Amino acid sequence: MTAAVWNWSEIIPALPEVFLAVSAMVLLVLGACQKNGGLKLIGTLSVAALAVAMVLTLKADWTPVTVFSGQFLSDGFSSYMKILVLGGLIATIMLSMRYLVQENMGRFEYPVLILLAGVGMMIMLSANSFLSLYVGLELQSLSLYVLAAIRRDDAKSSEAGLKYFVLGALASGMLLFGISLVYGYVGAVGFDAVADTLAAATAEGTVAPGAIIGMVFILVAIAFKVSAVPFHMWTPDVYEGAPTSVTALFAIVPKVAAIGLLMRLLFDPFVSLMPDWQQVVWFLSAASMAWGGFAGIVQGNIKRLFAYSSIGNIGFALVGIVAGTADGVAASILYMTIYMIMTAGTFGIIMMMRRNGVAVERITDLAGLSKTHPACAYAMTALMFSMSGIPPLAGFFGKLVVFQALIASGFYVLAVLGLVSSVVAAYYYLRIIKVMFFDEAEAPLDRESAPMRTLVLTLSIIFIAGFVLVPETLMHTSQEAAAVLLPAND
Amino acid sequence: MELVAVFAPLVGFLIAFLFGKQIGPRGAQFVTCTGMILAAVMSCALFYSVILQNDPRVLHLATWIAAGDFEVQWALRIDQLTVIMMCVINIVSACVHVYSVGYMSHDPARARFMAYLSLFTFAMLMLVTANNMVQLFFGWEGVGLASYLLIGFWSHKPSANAAAVKAFVVNRVGDFGLLMAIFTTFVVFGTVQFDAIFTMAPDKTVDTFNFFGFEIHALTLICLMLFVGAVGKSAQLGLHTWLPDAMEGPTPVSALIHAATMVTAGVFLITRFSPLFEYAPFAREIVCIVGAMTALVAATIGLTQFDIKRVIAYSTMSQLGYMFFALGVSAYSAAMFHLMTHAFFKALLFLGAGSVIHAMSNEQDMRRMGGIWKYIPTTYVLMWVGSLALAGVPFFAGFYSKDLILEAAFASGSWFGQMAFWMGIAAALMTAFYSWRLILLTFHGKPRASAETMAHVHESPNVMLIPLAVLAAGAIMAGSMFYGAFANSATSPGHTQDIKHVGDMVSIWDKDYFFGDSIKVLPENDSVVAAHHVPKWVKLLPILAGALGIGFAFVVYMFREGMADKIVRAFKPLHTLFYNKWYFDELYNFLFVKPCFVIGKLFWKGDKNVIDGLGPDGVSKLSRGIAGRLGVFQTGYMFHYAFVMMIGLIGLVSWFIYRTMGS
Amino acid sequence: MLETIAFYLFATVLTLSALRVITARNPVHSVLFLILAFFNAAGLFVLLGAEFVAMILVIVYVGAVAVLFLFVVMMLDINFVEMRKGATRYMPLGVLLGGVLLTELTMLFGAWKFSPQIAQNAASPTPAIDSVENTHAIGAILYTDYVFIFQVSGLVLLVAMIGAIVLTHRVRAGVRHQKVSDQVNRKISDSMDIQSIKPGSGA
Repeated sequence: MTAAVWNWSEIIPALPEVFLAVSAMVLLVLGACQKNGGLKLIGTLSVAALAVAMVLTLKADWTPVTVFSGQFLSDGFSSYMKILVLGGLIATIMLSMRYLVQENMGRFEYPVLILLAGVGMMIMLSANSFLSLYVGLELQSLSLYVLAAIRRDDAKSSEAGLKYFVLGALASGMLLFGISLVYGYVGAVGFDAVADTLAAATAEGTVAPGAIIGMVFILVAIAFKVSAVPFHMWTPDVYEGAPTSVTALFAIVPKVAAIGLLMRLLFDPFVSLMPDWQQVVWFLSAASMAWGGFAGIVQGNIKRLFAYSSIGNIGFALVGIVAGTADGVAASILYMTIYMIMTAGTFGIIMMMRRNGVAVERITDLAGLSKTHPACAYAMTALMFSMSGIPPLAGFFGKLVVFQALIASGFYVLAVLGLVSSVVAAYYYLRIIKVMFFDEAEAPLDRESAPMRTLVLTLSIIFIAGFVLVPETLMHTSQEAAAVLLPAND
Repeated sequence: MELVAVFAPLVGFLIAFLFGKQIGPRGAQFVTCTGMILAAVMSCALFYSVILQNDPRVLHLATWIAAGDFEVQWALRIDQLTVIMMCVINIVSACVHVYSVGYMSHDPARARFMAYLSLFTFAMLMLVTANNMVQLFFGWEGVGLASYLLIGFWSHKPSANAAAVKAFVVNRVGDFGLLMAIFTTFVVFGTVQFDAIFTMAPDKTVDTFNFFGFEIHALTLICLMLFVGAVGKSAQLGLHTWLPDAMEGPTPVSALIHAATMVTAGVFLITRFSPLFEYAPFAREIVCIVGAMTALVAATIGLTQFDIKRVIAYSTMSQLGYMFFALGVSAYSAAMFHLMTHAFFKALLFLGAGSVIHAMSNEQDMRRMGGIWKYIPTTYVLMWVGSLALAGVPFFAGFYSKDLILEAAFASGSWFGQMAFWMGIAAALMTAFYSWRLILLTFHGKPRASAETMAHVHESPNVMLIPLAVLAAGAIMAGSMFYGAFANSATSPGHTQDIKHVGDMVSIWDKDYFFGDSIKVLPENDSVVAAHHVPKWVKLLPILAGALGIGFAFVVYMFREGMADKIVRAFKPLHTLFYNKWYFDELYNFLFVKPCFVIGKLFWKGDKNVIDGLGPDGVSKLSRGIAGRLGVFQTGYMFHYAFVMMIGLIGLVSWFIYRTMGS
Repeated sequence: MLETIAFYLFATVLTLSALRVITARNPVHSVLFLILAFFNAAGLFVLLGAEFVAMILVIVYVGAVAVLFLFVVMMLDINFVEMRKGATRYMPLGVLLGGVLLTELTMLFGAWKFSPQIAQNAASPTPAIDSVENTHAIGAILYTDYVFIFQVSGLVLLVAMIGAIVLTHRVRAGVRHQKVSDQVNRKISDSMDIQSIKPGSGA
């Protein structure tokens, strides 16, 4: 018997995940004992649990360490991405609470599922073998499928959940097939073993097509998760159909985790196949930027619009990965950070859109917002300017750094494509501003105070406006995170 | 201490601006005034610790931008020059804040007004505490923005909006100059940090800059660019047209921004860059000439205007001219001295004028005033104090600083210094004249306002008078108190030497000690020291000019009614020229604005038909077409989506199969 | 010899029944063929010496999953013929895509090679199959090296359970439950009120 002796100290690097999983289960039991839903209590406690997990991650030792027989890796990169994810989840729950009550879908399972999805994302980010990658991904996806369909009496929500589930299952199938191909070539599923084997094979020039095709399958599955074109088809329908609070979650968090996972995959096990995967990611990135820009133009539903916006933005984030340098990865990380915060603010506004107590979601419903809710209109204006990348707002710097990295690596065609797409996309962001300021409102939107939502929105605005004053802190942190992933280049 | 002095206004602004509705106008006034008074007290404390104890320092806050070789930090440079500016800014700003509580008491948006004032003060502090050119530019633009917001504060008045836009656009020309200066500096020195630039400056005196094949002396180029920036901000001749129009803003704004602080930013800028200007004699020559001409031209215009605020505005411009020609002859400390005394007495004059306007139910035309000194005696006295200081009557603040400038100009020995001296004397004469013209027209003679207005004439409340009193104290004493600090030197003859021996404390009233290393004057250029050696008549001439001007004003406007009209008729062409402000606005309108409109229209038409048709409109049509096509894919059927995914997958797989196995 | 015959038997039946699962017109038949396929797969596992996996396959897939399918198929009234109609329209495209992918994967399989390091990478952490029975071996590795994956899989199942409850469980209004304690605690005075009415005065 070679079974390792279990050592309790192995659990320490995974403490945030363990804590979050345990608190999810405790909250589940607690919620089941509550009468009439107990959403408020469970929601508050969930935010607290996420915050504690965030503090645990922050305070943890960020030196790279693998535990659980090499299944789980904790390092500076994973910790940074986890903090992003946890922050995004906290923001989402804070944004959603009022909406859940208003839409009469206040069930305590909602925050618990978000916690479990969070555990899944953290496991994805800490994955050090294809097995843990897969279980983390499934844990996350399954929670999200349920959340998308959580308004089971609503045909659109159920349809969204089902579509997401079936297509997600297809993507999972591709992922597993890809993993088995890679396993078939390498004979192991650990990232370290895969990286070593592929590096040796690349050095000799004897990489089997099987391994490359396996990698393509895996990339396709991840591309589905980040909704990169042409694996994005579920996004607009699911964004539109799912309850707005869930859409906010979809837009804000899982993409960050999936992009993090993608970076880990490409720069850890598959790093020696860089020339190959650069072609795939190049294509995904170009297609996403273009599609996200063009198809968004004709949308009338604001949630659908932001589905296309998220597709386009993922394209920009992929740009940094295509560059294949530490600077590129740092730029991508920074881009995702900024994108996440902007999106949180934007969905704060979208969730505010109600007329006579009914949620509305057409862009034209924003008409005249500058007169009825001037503060909201100005906040939205700032967000839209930032999204379209107008200086000196944060969004501009996000785009700036990724293109800098791209041009430094010599991908001029993609850079031009990206700039064109970003101009096209600016059209629909600016249209929202035009509608808010220059169109006449039919009837004003409701006035309501949701302190939590306002807080998230305010923080988001402060960030995008204030980023120009202290960009260095965040840039530096993202560079450090990237340096962990690409130690050779630093 | 430094942080409080700089950031208290920012905190005040944020609270008043963001929570203005919640805390109400009272709360906003309280918060901003408290912040400002706190900042003023702290800057006085800094005056003690930095200047008197000779302890300049730099406070690093954070790294701002680091891209390649280009590094910019957030830092507070607290040296002597900065502290002088901080004291002036914070004290005047505190006075104006308190004054505004009374002046704006009927305005519905007074919370916002207070917030903007604090924002302006913060931006100004950022400007003077900057440790590098980029942060300086940040403050520079910040004050421009705040100034725009405040000039256009009464946005219901079209003239206010137009003035705000004009101020912004004209300043943009200057800002462009400053930007170019920053770029050039970075090219020449490879850094934008002040310390590094100043230490390197002596080694760069022979460097040239190739510009379209012309070899240009690098330092001169930088200095001229800087001067363009300063001309815009400080309303020197050429880019001055926005300043009189800016009087559309509320009077406290005129006092704070367009008299005491923002317009002096140009003077500060050049003083800050004295280590560069010292090696660019040609640039200094230009500065001196432009300054002297501004002093003279502005004074001539001031003679003829009837709007009480415009008269003071032109006088501000004229005084700024004095400061600039002082800079031009390397008398930096004299310029700073005048900047300080001017801040006090000009703010006093503006706020006094505001008090008059307040009393006269918002009447600004002096032709409809008169005979009100009995009703508002305190304001009357305070206006006298301000005017005495402005005219350079002995023992008031303006006397010391203006004389020092004139003597320095004379002593510099250069031809442009001489010219500036004579122009300055002429301007001094006119200054005294229009100051008393203002007082006499406003307060004396028969009341020319309507009976109804006269019935309402009332003294302003204490909340407005107390700040005035503080400023008046400054206007009386600032000159005599600080004369030594700005003028004396260890190398100057006579009494200074003796005083130095009395004790350590006294030696601080000496400009070399007072400024430390914050300004740099080459010994051979030091006209302030030379100013002590000028002949007696040079010292007396300004006083004489002032006295003549005052006397003449009394004759024309008090004793001989109707003489003013006679003079106007006698000098009709000159008066018309002066009254119409030397036709600058018309000239610019003809030269720049109209052609711009014509060109703009031409391009607009061409743009609409040709470029829009092929470009934006065509492209947007195309984009919508593409968007429509793409929409076709989004059918909503799940198996379609699955098909698209499969096609994507197969496409990628085929590509790699082809690549790895096909060949 | 016997093993070879058994392998080809199981494999042939497995493939044929898998084909019938997707071609059978009657959905109940499909499920029954699926069960047959599972059995044959279990047989293949036994041939490989993996009797534990074989038994799990029978118990879990046949015993639980497939039977559940059967229930669902029989309980829901779905018109499969109607559903098939749309599918035939896309048959050519589907066949084309499937064909291309199959060709490519066949090419891939034909040119397959293993990494030279595969033997070292794939070195099993479990002891040889003849020294320890594989139930024991799986247990020994599952709860040590793979305990993390095992636990996370547990979480996945938990989410599945929560999802099932969230999406299907509903509290119906107006459902009357028997409350024993209420019945036991009921007193005469709760339901009856004895009034003494004088004769002749009326109610």
